Amino acid sequence: MKILICLSIIACKLTRFGLRLLGRGGTDFPGKVALRLSQDVLGVMAQNVTTVIVTGTNGKTTSSRMLEQCFRAAGLDFFSNKSGANLLSGITTEFAMNSTITGRCRKKYALIECDEAAFRTVSRHLGARCVLVTNVFRDQLDRYGEITHTLESIRIGLKNSPSATICLNADDSLSASLSDTLTQPVVFYGVETEIYHERAAEVSDAPYCIRCKGEYEYDYVTYGHLGGFRCRSCGYSRPAASVAVTAVLATTPDDSRVLIRAGENTVEARINLPGGYNIYNACGTVAAAGVMGIPLETSVQALSDFECGFGRMEKFRIHDVDVRMILVKNPAGCNQVLNFLSNIETPATFVVCLNDRAADGTDISWIWDVDFEKLLDMGDRLARLYVSGVRAYDMALRFQYAGIPMEKINVIQDPIALMETATTQGDPVYIMPTYTAMLDLRDRIAKNYGFKNFWE
Amino acid sequence: MELKICHLYPDILNLYGDRGNIICLEKRARWRGLDVSTTGVSVGETADFTAFDLFFIGGGQDFEQAVLLRDLAAGKGKEIKAAAHDGKVFLAICGGYQILGTSYRTWDGDQFDFIGAMDIHTIGSRERMIGNFIYQCPPENSGARVVGFENHSGKTYLGPDVSPLGTVLKGHGNNGEDGSEGARSKNIFATYSHGPLLPKNPVLADFILQTAIRQKDPGFVPEPLDDLYEKLANDSMAERLLI
Repeated sequence: MKILICLSIIACKLTRFGLRLLGRGGTDFPGKVALRLSQDVLGVMAQNVTTVIVTGTNGKTTSSRMLEQCFRAAGLDFFSNKSGANLLSGITTEFAMNSTITGRCRKKYALIECDEAAFRTVSRHLGARCVLVTNVFRDQLDRYGEITHTLESIRIGLKNSPSATICLNADDSLSASLSDTLTQPVVFYGVETEIYHERAAEVSDAPYCIRCKGEYEYDYVTYGHLGGFRCRSCGYSRPAASVAVTAVLATTPDDSRVLIRAGENTVEARINLPGGYNIYNACGTVAAAGVMGIPLETSVQALSDFECGFGRMEKFRIHDVDVRMILVKNPAGCNQVLNFLSNIETPATFVVCLNDRAADGTDISWIWDVDFEKLLDMGDRLARLYVSGVRAYDMALRFQYAGIPMEKINVIQDPIALMETATTQGDPVYIMPTYTAMLDLRDRIAKNYGFKNFWE
Repeated sequence: MELKICHLYPDILNLYGDRGNIICLEKRARWRGLDVSTTGVSVGETADFTAFDLFFIGGGQDFEQAVLLRDLAAGKGKEIKAAAHDGKVFLAICGGYQILGTSYRTWDGDQFDFIGAMDIHTIGSRERMIGNFIYQCPPENSGARVVGFENHSGKTYLGPDVSPLGTVLKGHGNNGEDGSEGARSKNIFATYSHGPLLPKNPVLADFILQTAIRQKDPGFVPEPLDDLYEKLANDSMAERLLI
């Protein structure tokens, strides 16, 4: 068996080397090759590594990057699956690249972002020390099915992680309910205050109690179905959070300042990433970092030094204009982006790129659940709007029906023409692409304007 | 003139973009100078159903179905059935379509009785019928070539007095067997084209609007609109599916 493990790892490394020579990312396929040769390869490589897994619907990548910054600040010897390859094969690739050919990992820690549907399988191999669940929202029904399926998948994954401390979002009635069946230690984290003065009008993904189907009432709502919930019938309510944001002091287009309480300590933190949903990502990060023994001060410092990438509020500068790329993939996430964008005080150019490939979700119906009508509040601060992608006309139609004046809506299909036009209007540009649209666009931006490729 | 829309169970039957249909109906009515009001009627709420011109009922998740069936059994089911028999105009999508039928039998044999506003019934299967699809409506059901997205495991079969809304050109439709898609019974328009059916199918949208308004104003004809992006969105999907 040992020889098969070695062969599997060697094949993985060689495939990756070959793909890189061809100028490809090779984040996923080498892992597939390895798993074809040995199903046990991931488990063997993960044996002597202390692993943290981040899963959930929204915020996985950002939380992982924040946690990575904490690990770095704490001087931990770790690796992570950086480029969003978060399925079994991608995770296997990353482990193999950090292992010797006998399957011994060269790092002490692994920080693994894991797709919520893949988590049930991946978890079996990893024996995680800590699992951070960000939240559960409706996402890509064509792929994940109903929200309760996602929840069950995560439940199984947590069961497969008996040595882990589980960090759960106290404000999310769905994922907080996972604690019902857990025997491991649980750390709840949450936000104990409203975040926005005005929020997008949202459809709640969880209006009825996950335990008894009674109706929830809320002391406060942060966004979506998150907040201080309580079931009128069975009394299921938001659990007390041991890591909590107790106040939001300021929010700007560049950052947020908050008070975070962890145990007995409360400290001020500057989160170097705008958007209310990133306050949650920061809070979950502090909770998971705490589980890993990283001091609060170190985590807080890391949050202020943190810079995200890979299409999550990622910044470019093109033709002397600031460009921010913000991945959108489901109504809850997109509404949070709009909450952020509609609070921008200077005129801006918006770009939306809508694709419907498998990784985006083949069903684009969700754009009608997003409160794009909220953009009307911006008036002339929304200077112009470009739409692109495979389903550009559907997107244009959505904006038209949201009441955006037709003369502001422009369809440009060619990505370079799109970037050139958007960045030569003088205003900052905010691009909202779906997943594969982001990959396409980043690739074109990298080639055309000389930025790094995503796997670098 | 005011168009009065009733949105049934907007907080439960709202699976992915169903409200796009309400937005579309409201806008297209207002663009023709009509007043529009939309009233949501959900669990535990009552309303005078005779006062509405157009009912919309969307799709939902299995999780909330028990809440829904309890509420229907408590009286709303009968009222909905009566409104449909009176010739009120309904647009019913996916789960909403199934619920207007007589029953649903799961693949492992459980049977649920539904509203029975039309003679159709659904049998659960273990495979999902999922993906973009396209169907052609006959002239009496608008004549539209409808593009949409279907995602259902229930197979629906029509009784003798119910005609299909259209004929499948590409995709599964009602049951993946007989080429039929959706149902038309009196003024019920029902389809598996889930989520935002109407925005990129303006011919069907206007036909439903017209049918609803003619209940009050028999001579009503909606003014033609430009429909630039509507047509482009419809054509680009039709091209993708039919080539």
